[in-house]
Amino acid sequence: MSERISMSVERVDAREKIYGEALYIGDYRFEDMLFAKTVRSKVPRAKILNVKIPALPDGYFVVDRDDVPGKNRVKILVYDQPYFADGVVNYIGEPILLVVGPEREKVFEIARKVEVEYEEIPPILTIDDALSGKNQPIYGDDNCFVDYHYEKGNVKNAFANAETIVEGEYETGYQEHLYIEPQGVAAVFDGEKITIYGSMQCPYYIKRALAECLALDEKNVRVVQVTTGGAFGGKEEYPSLIAGQAAVAAMKTQKPVKLILDRTEDIMVSTKRHPSRTRYRAAIDADGKVIALDVDIIFDGGAYAGLSDVVLQRGMFSAAGVYNIPNISVHGRAVATNKVPTGAFRGFGAPQVFFAIERLFDKIASKLGENPVDLRLRHAISQGDFTATGGIMRQPVKIPEMVEKLEKMSDFRSKIGKSLPGDEPHIKRGYGLSLFFHGCGFTGNGENIIAAEAKLKKHSDGKVEILVANTEMGQGALTALRKIVAETLKIQFDDVIYELPDTDRVPDSGPTVASRTTMIVGGLLKKAAEEMRERWNEADEFEIMKKYHHPDYIRWNQETFEGDAYPTYSFGANVAEVDVDTITGEIAVRHIWAVFDVGITIDEVLMRGQAQGGVVQGTGYATIEVMEAQAGRLLQSTITDYTIPTTKDVPLVECAFIDNPYEYGPFGAKCAGELTLVGAAPAIAAAVENAIGREIVRIPIKPEEIIKKLD
Amino acid sequence: MNEFVYLPENLDEALEIRASTGAVPIAGGTDLMVRYRRGSGIPPQFDFPVVLIGKIDALRYIEVSADNIHIGSATTLTEIFMNEDVPQILKLAVGEMASPAIRNVATIGGNIGNASPAGDTLPPLYILDAKIVLKNLNGEREVPIEDFITGPGQTILRSDEIIYEVTIPIGNFDKIYYRKIGTRKALALSKVSFSAAVNYRGDVIDDMRFAFGAVAPVVIRSREIEGEFKNITFNELKNREGEIAQKYSPLINPIDDQRSTAEYRRKVSLRLLKFFIQNVI
Repeated sequence: MSERISMSVERVDAREKIYGEALYIGDYRFEDMLFAKTVRSKVPRAKILNVKIPALPDGYFVVDRDDVPGKNRVKILVYDQPYFADGVVNYIGEPILLVVGPEREKVFEIARKVEVEYEEIPPILTIDDALSGKNQPIYGDDNCFVDYHYEKGNVKNAFANAETIVEGEYETGYQEHLYIEPQGVAAVFDGEKITIYGSMQCPYYIKRALAECLALDEKNVRVVQVTTGGAFGGKEEYPSLIAGQAAVAAMKTQKPVKLILDRTEDIMVSTKRHPSRTRYRAAIDADGKVIALDVDIIFDGGAYAGLSDVVLQRGMFSAAGVYNIPNISVHGRAVATNKVPTGAFRGFGAPQVFFAIERLFDKIASKLGENPVDLRLRHAISQGDFTATGGIMRQPVKIPEMVEKLEKMSDFRSKIGKSLPGDEPHIKRGYGLSLFFHGCGFTGNGENIIAAEAKLKKHSDGKVEILVANTEMGQGALTALRKIVAETLKIQFDDVIYELPDTDRVPDSGPTVASRTTMIVGGLLKKAAEEMRERWNEADEFEIMKKYHHPDYIRWNQETFEGDAYPTYSFGANVAEVDVDTITGEIAVRHIWAVFDVGITIDEVLMRGQAQGGVVQGTGYATIEVMEAQAGRLLQSTITDYTIPTTKDVPLVECAFIDNPYEYGPFGAKCAGELTLVGAAPAIAAAVENAIGREIVRIPIKPEEIIKKLD
Repeated sequence: MNEFVYLPENLDEALEIRASTGAVPIAGGTDLMVRYRRGSGIPPQFDFPVVLIGKIDALRYIEVSADNIHIGSATTLTEIFMNEDVPQILKLAVGEMASPAIRNVATIGGNIGNASPAGDTLPPLYILDAKIVLKNLNGEREVPIEDFITGPGQTILRSDEIIYEVTIPIGNFDKIYYRKIGTRKALALSKVSFSAAVNYRGDVIDDMRFAFGAVAPVVIRSREIEGEFKNITFNELKNREGEIAQKYSPLINPIDDQRSTAEYRRKVSLRLLKFFIQNVI
């Protein structure tokens, strides 16, 4: 921590959250407010033949597709799932209608009495079913939301010249965000304008979706974020759906309507991380160099398109891992199944593919009889090399320094690749390494399309206000962006104002996703602050607005997926130490050492929080976070059965950061939040594999599977 | 649908309510309040009357008599865990249940009455030869725990009775062992549990008891099998490990559910038995 900006301050939202003073959407009360409860599909795929509504007492209403003034489809990337089922349902939990009324208990009772008559259609429930063409497709003709391919070099030739070919097939499961605060919004209509208050990441996504849903002019849709109790990507696209439902209800009833999901409901119906199946073939020449990769990636998108298109793209652009592979062919598909739609989740398609490529590299090492660390270092990408999509790795890559730092911290190199004794005879210990990156900001040309705008306003009392659409969801944006502005203007941290966004007050600085807030929006604010400093005495009150353009060096072809998929990359290296109990198959992740290159940290303590949280969330993903669907229904739908790590399950996490300033990031900062989750799963899987001497190709790694392997 | 919730002041009142209405007793509510929940902020709705007995002092005690330890049914898991006289094997199980907050309200009577195959106090209570004292207005009766629980959620509790007390014979074991395999290390339900208690003289086994949790409709303890392996030496026991496992095998009839598989439960319960025989004693 050599930079002044990295020195930590007390995060601005810590006290109100610790003291219980922060108000979440559940705490908000509006006069004459009505509560809403959603009636949902109980079957995975059906035509709705009839809906029988019980007699409604005075003041109680049913709200369905006939009440939508505009388009009954949520605008995400395409017009997607209906706000209210439009004659058919495609997953268990798909919303059909709302019951709204003044007493929540009564609303629930009425909702329970609504009877829906279905004519079931044979559902598509697995990736294999989705591609088999056996049942009528859910989406398009081929049942793929997207089907992409890109190639660099000449893969066919490389395989023809290969000395050795190594193949692997890898699978990852669902992951549920399990933010502590469930999804919730309130909608208030004043006869002309709708206002949405809620727990969210992307106020402008909601604003645009609602203008179309409600057939209102955008100026008559106002979206206000309230304190948000965790999100992890789960509040990127999903809140648009419930905001639309609540808004339609508010317009119909002319009363404020609050819609908050209960926990089990939230687990059942909100988005999840895409389950995946990835197949790799690696061509290796006589010198042991990996000369080509042939990759086939399939993501299970669930019943509706959602963000699957771009989630898959990020996965595909990660297919070479952190390695310099001259020839690569990547085929990616996101398939439709009659299950809950999958969507954005910290890492956004990359964790699945990094799990696969890192497992493949361990397999290649074992095939070649080489230490997995040496194999990785031999292939590690460096400055000036081409990325998988033929972009140029322009900034310095410090993988060797990161591995050296890990070695100093953990002394892992001599222990890796072996089954070591644990503290008791029936315990086996193993170590695993993972190397990974996260492409910073939106994938491809996304940042140029968003063209984020950020505003800085000088008030007459000398205070400076940040006006951006970016949200605090626990990650520390309120603190980090204030620090960037205060440090640039050389004013007190407390003299910078940054309220949670209200679309009537802030420009569209883009969504709070893709680890872009600090690097992209913070970068704009830094420029605005530099200009404000120059012009400080110009007036008592004035505003400066900055608009984002990619640095000039970036070239990208969205049609062929050629060029710089990201403006820059953050890197990570993890070592996991695990114990496996050979009697019960239980895995104890004891220790994770993690080194990250996020450019320059904007706040060392905030960054440590991100790093520890990301590693723990990745540990859960690899081990105990089991979520499986049977006949289209999620089996682990309660907080009891979907288990995330408790303090007793959390490994000791030791983090370190390598300075590697990025010219175009504020104070040298790159992306940080998502990166930290990506490496835990492949490192843990490698460690388990080494401990028990059996190949691990699937996460979560369940004791049930370990016991089968040990038997 | 009967929505009555009764709040008796004392045990007599509770027994009268039980006798006249058959209302289902609730103490900590950590099972029933969850099972009948409707939504946050809305009270659960039971389709039967309930009687709240968790605050009745006459049901909250831990006392020691000449031969027994007596635990009132509404004694919380925390109170049991903190008590010096409670047998260690029961405390080992209680210490791994749920979380401190849940243990502060959950009661031993509730765990017994709920009769879940995965109830974690049950295997130690089977091993300890615990008896359940049931009370109604006319008096009380005492039944061994394995006679009290007849199936998942099934007991012989009559509609006018309340679980009054758990009576545990005072005894000492030279070796105890408890292992719970949960979905995680805390706040977890059991996939499998294995409990064992042994007394020996020199290298001869006097008394050896095993109990398996979550692998059959009720906790598995077999006095018959235990009887066959008394008065043998440790070495003989280790040599006959396969035979013992084979005898327990037909009793172990687990299910597949959202937490684990029947195959895993079966294999791991026998693996733990063998591990205990070979490595722990």
